[in-house]
Amino acid sequence: MSNIQNEMRAVAKELLESGKATVVLGWEKGTMPYDSTPVMIRSAADVDKLIWDEYCLQNLSTYLIDFINTEDKVAIFAKGCDTRAYNRLVHDRRINPKNSIVIGVPCSGMKNPKVAAKTPEGAEVPMANACKECRYPNPVACDQKIGSDVTPWCTAKDFSDVEAIEAMDADAKAAFWKEQYSKCIRCYACRNICPACNCTNCIFDQSASGWCSKDVNASENQFYGVTRAFHVAGRCIECGQCEAVCPSDIPIMLMNKKFIKDIDTLFGNYEAGLVTEGTTPLNSYQVADPEEFM
Amino acid sequence: MERVGVFICHCGSNIGAVVDCARVAEAVRNYPGVAYSTDYKYMCSEPGQEMIQNAIKEHNLNRVVVASCSPRMHEKTFRACVEKVGMNPYMFEMANIREHCSWVHAGKNEEATEKAIDLVKMAVSKVCKNEVLQKGHAPVTKRALVVGGGIAGIQCALDIANNGYQVDILERTPSIGGKMSQIDKTFPTIDCSACILTPKMVEASSHPNIKLITFAELEKVEGYVGNFDVTIRSKARSVDMSKCTGCGTCMTKCPGKADDEFNMKLRKRTAIYTPFPQAIPNKPVIDRESCLKFKSRKEGKDVCGICAKMCPAGAIDYEQEDELFVEKYGAIVMATGYEQFDHSVYGEYGYGKYPDVISGLHFERLVNASGPTQGHIVRPSDHKEPKTVVMVKCVGSRDPEHGKSYCSRTCCMYTAKQATMIRDHCPDTKVYVFYMDVRTPGKLYDEFYNRTREEYGVDYIRGRVSKIYQEGEQLIVKGEDTLLGQQVEIAADLVILANAMIPNPDSEKMAQTVGIGYDKDGWFTESHPKLGPVETHTAGVFLAGACQGPKDIPDSVAQAGAAAVKVCALLSKDQLETEPTVSVVDTKLCSGCGLCVPVCPYKAITLETIQERKGGKTVERQVANVNSSLCQGCGACTVTCRSGSANLKHFTNAQILAEVDALCQTMQ
Amino acid sequence: MSNNAVENFEPKILVFACNWCTYAGADLAGTSRLQYPPNVRVLRVPCSCRVNPQFVLRAFQRGIDGVLVAGCHPGDCHYTTGNYYTRRRFLLITRMMDYMGIDSRRFHTRWISGAEGPKFQQVVTEMINEVKAIGPNDKFRDDAKIEVKAVETNE
Repeated sequence: MSNIQNEMRAVAKELLESGKATVVLGWEKGTMPYDSTPVMIRSAADVDKLIWDEYCLQNLSTYLIDFINTEDKVAIFAKGCDTRAYNRLVHDRRINPKNSIVIGVPCSGMKNPKVAAKTPEGAEVPMANACKECRYPNPVACDQKIGSDVTPWCTAKDFSDVEAIEAMDADAKAAFWKEQYSKCIRCYACRNICPACNCTNCIFDQSASGWCSKDVNASENQFYGVTRAFHVAGRCIECGQCEAVCPSDIPIMLMNKKFIKDIDTLFGNYEAGLVTEGTTPLNSYQVADPEEFM
Repeated sequence: MERVGVFICHCGSNIGAVVDCARVAEAVRNYPGVAYSTDYKYMCSEPGQEMIQNAIKEHNLNRVVVASCSPRMHEKTFRACVEKVGMNPYMFEMANIREHCSWVHAGKNEEATEKAIDLVKMAVSKVCKNEVLQKGHAPVTKRALVVGGGIAGIQCALDIANNGYQVDILERTPSIGGKMSQIDKTFPTIDCSACILTPKMVEASSHPNIKLITFAELEKVEGYVGNFDVTIRSKARSVDMSKCTGCGTCMTKCPGKADDEFNMKLRKRTAIYTPFPQAIPNKPVIDRESCLKFKSRKEGKDVCGICAKMCPAGAIDYEQEDELFVEKYGAIVMATGYEQFDHSVYGEYGYGKYPDVISGLHFERLVNASGPTQGHIVRPSDHKEPKTVVMVKCVGSRDPEHGKSYCSRTCCMYTAKQATMIRDHCPDTKVYVFYMDVRTPGKLYDEFYNRTREEYGVDYIRGRVSKIYQEGEQLIVKGEDTLLGQQVEIAADLVILANAMIPNPDSEKMAQTVGIGYDKDGWFTESHPKLGPVETHTAGVFLAGACQGPKDIPDSVAQAGAAAVKVCALLSKDQLETEPTVSVVDTKLCSGCGLCVPVCPYKAITLETIQERKGGKTVERQVANVNSSLCQGCGACTVTCRSGSANLKHFTNAQILAEVDALCQTMQ
Repeated sequence: MSNNAVENFEPKILVFACNWCTYAGADLAGTSRLQYPPNVRVLRVPCSCRVNPQFVLRAFQRGIDGVLVAGCHPGDCHYTTGNYYTRRRFLLITRMMDYMGIDSRRFHTRWISGAEGPKFQQVVTEMINEVKAIGPNDKFRDDAKIEVKAVETNE
């Protein structure tokens, strides 16, 4: 870890001093041991704030949205999932690849600070859920890389949790989701952290449009949940940040993974966030797609 | 403030006998937005329409709902009715309480009335959110492009040109003429193909309204009906067309040799060549694949150059390159024809393995007086006259497993034609035809087929051929005669396969370039199989000939004429009226992700840069923009759009949601 | 609910019908006087690809008992490609509905052409009978919003 941290600081220093970057986005240590929060560094003198530890969970790519119209040249540190997020955002034209520098960092899996906060002292904090299933711990694309690649611990997508829900009967499924979404407080943290939920104007912020209501109840919350999952279907890069930040512990990735599973089965395996152009499963089609509607 | 007038039609007893119309009118009288509600015997009648018009004036209505028959029947009628008294026609909605209600729920008066009330409420809820829409206008470029210079394209261009409009023919090979120029005789009259085709080729080339663009490809199509911008790639001919006189001297000494495609590779041609003696334009091109100079250049050398030395006009230009240019057109006709099915999938027929197993088009060249054998029917292997010929039909047609599921339509007749020609040329030769069915639905076609059998003594055997193999000098054809229920074995000297017609290998790509539909086989799809056979779903793009599906010459010519009429009708207008029910993007909401762009079948959506004020400074960003002349209003983009910034006028998100809500609500 | 269907239950079923095929097919059922139960309400859209899955979710929220999305057969789309997108979207949404516990008999997508009046009759009849058997929908419902605002006279 500390080698990478030193490299990070060195790279940041070089970029800022040489003027190749005006801003470096990384992580710094927060108040709690499990807080590794985003930090924006503009001066080479501050690079020692940068840290690299097992709580650098938060993806920094989404911050680039705020820089799209600035003169800044922004360097970010990006784990494997973050580079997929970066690609997603470039694909959606929400960030400007010309004013950003991606410094890839191989990742051995992160821990969720939300879980850590609830873990009794001394007990081992488990790896974050999405990280357990990660197939892309190494950057999929970057301008420069630090550290050396790690061996992915997963090679295939794991849908066992989705299959467990699928195996339930209809009433049990409905009860499960109703219970989950009854907990939703509509804080939209899942949306705000999501690299695929990057609209400038989310429909759930347009209550006058008739699309949605501000009411917080199981039905409206489920409408929100299904709609959001559909909006990121074929675009979700499986970082699991939505679920990681959910204050109500709703298993949001179970929704996203359901679409990923069905897309793979119906339309052929698809990996979101590996390219920055072309179509996605839901804005393309094959004449020979499965036919069930005759 | 919405003031909706609701008019419930009895349609005599058609609706009135099942639906209690007065009760429906009463039930919605207090529904939100409704200012006036009534029922009447026949709303579409003159008194009925007057009733609507008077109510609009008297009750100051700004929206109207008529509950009657299907909008497919009378939407136009009532739109015109309200427009006459100054209401925008898009402030009108219809509730279908006849086809969707009274006619299908006979005797269930109570439920049908309840349903009619729901349907009217849905229409009222929608109309309350309707907006004033105006039809648009677009200018028309009075020039047409015909893609493909075969008989369909030539005929279509001639018909358009003779109507006084400019038309360009775009042909990818060096000469117009198409497949018909390769054919020797045409059925059912056995008249010479070239004799009827070449005068049309000459007419097209000399017509003041026609411009030929040969050896060129369609690169890109932008724009919309009346206003297409077509990018054309003029391939490097290596011959300066303005200098070349077409004398042909260059071809006499060319040492480069290649398979002669026009003669189905039955002989060789030179590297600088015209495809056939009557080619138009009769000016050669250099085939760079087989030209010694161009081949040597790839190896860093630079040899030959004989054609340049021979050319008295100095027209040879080895440095020519492909050129791209853009032309404007008001209409496009696709007439790109067909190709031959590749028989090699039928290993059992030995095509490609045995030189004496040939296709129908090979035979056309063999029997042609200017072909490789000067018209003598001989075996390609040893140039001997065949004594026994076996013809096999449906090779690739009507065989979903190995070939195509469809019937190629022309094979029955050309097989019969070729059989009679063999019998004419070689009276001692025996001809057998293996067939699945004989389909001859054309004028004088069945008579011709009967003559083939009865007068020419051609032996038709119903059944499939299972195997063809060489034995000595002969080909053994094994098959089953299903009528006699026995195996047949014929020792043949020559086997002719009646190959299926298939679309051009790049037809799908071409369809995507132009923005039209294609079916599972790659044929271009017409807008309606019965009522729109030459139109496509893309306004201003029409179809002629076999690119739409297998066709013979008479059908291709007829369709070409039909397409020409549609083109002329379009070009005769100075302006085109466009429907306002198109998609529109709210740039305030649009993030510019561009996911909607590839979804649009009309390429109507592009990303454009806008400027806006943000945080005290002017910033640029991209947003989706819908070209309302191109958009046909399907709504595919609206669902792709997550933020709801793409919306379809007259079928907006708010309108549809209002209908859904209205249906689900129960009136207290 | 499935074992406890309400007696004399008359479901309401919403049909999103594309203007060019299914709406015409429903019209043909009418002109052919093909009888079917009066529980369906047709909502006309230009193309099945105009049907946003959120419309379907909304209908279930507001207490609809079943939804049918119907359009032209693939290859016959008036707009060439619209129904190919419909097919992809609703292959996924059908599975998501099931995943959320909404009985799969309540939601269907079907291709019904303008010539298929009898198919329209058959599809809606079967669907009505199935939904009748399983009873009213209580999944995904937002009961608070199924109340109605009755309105005083407007004049």
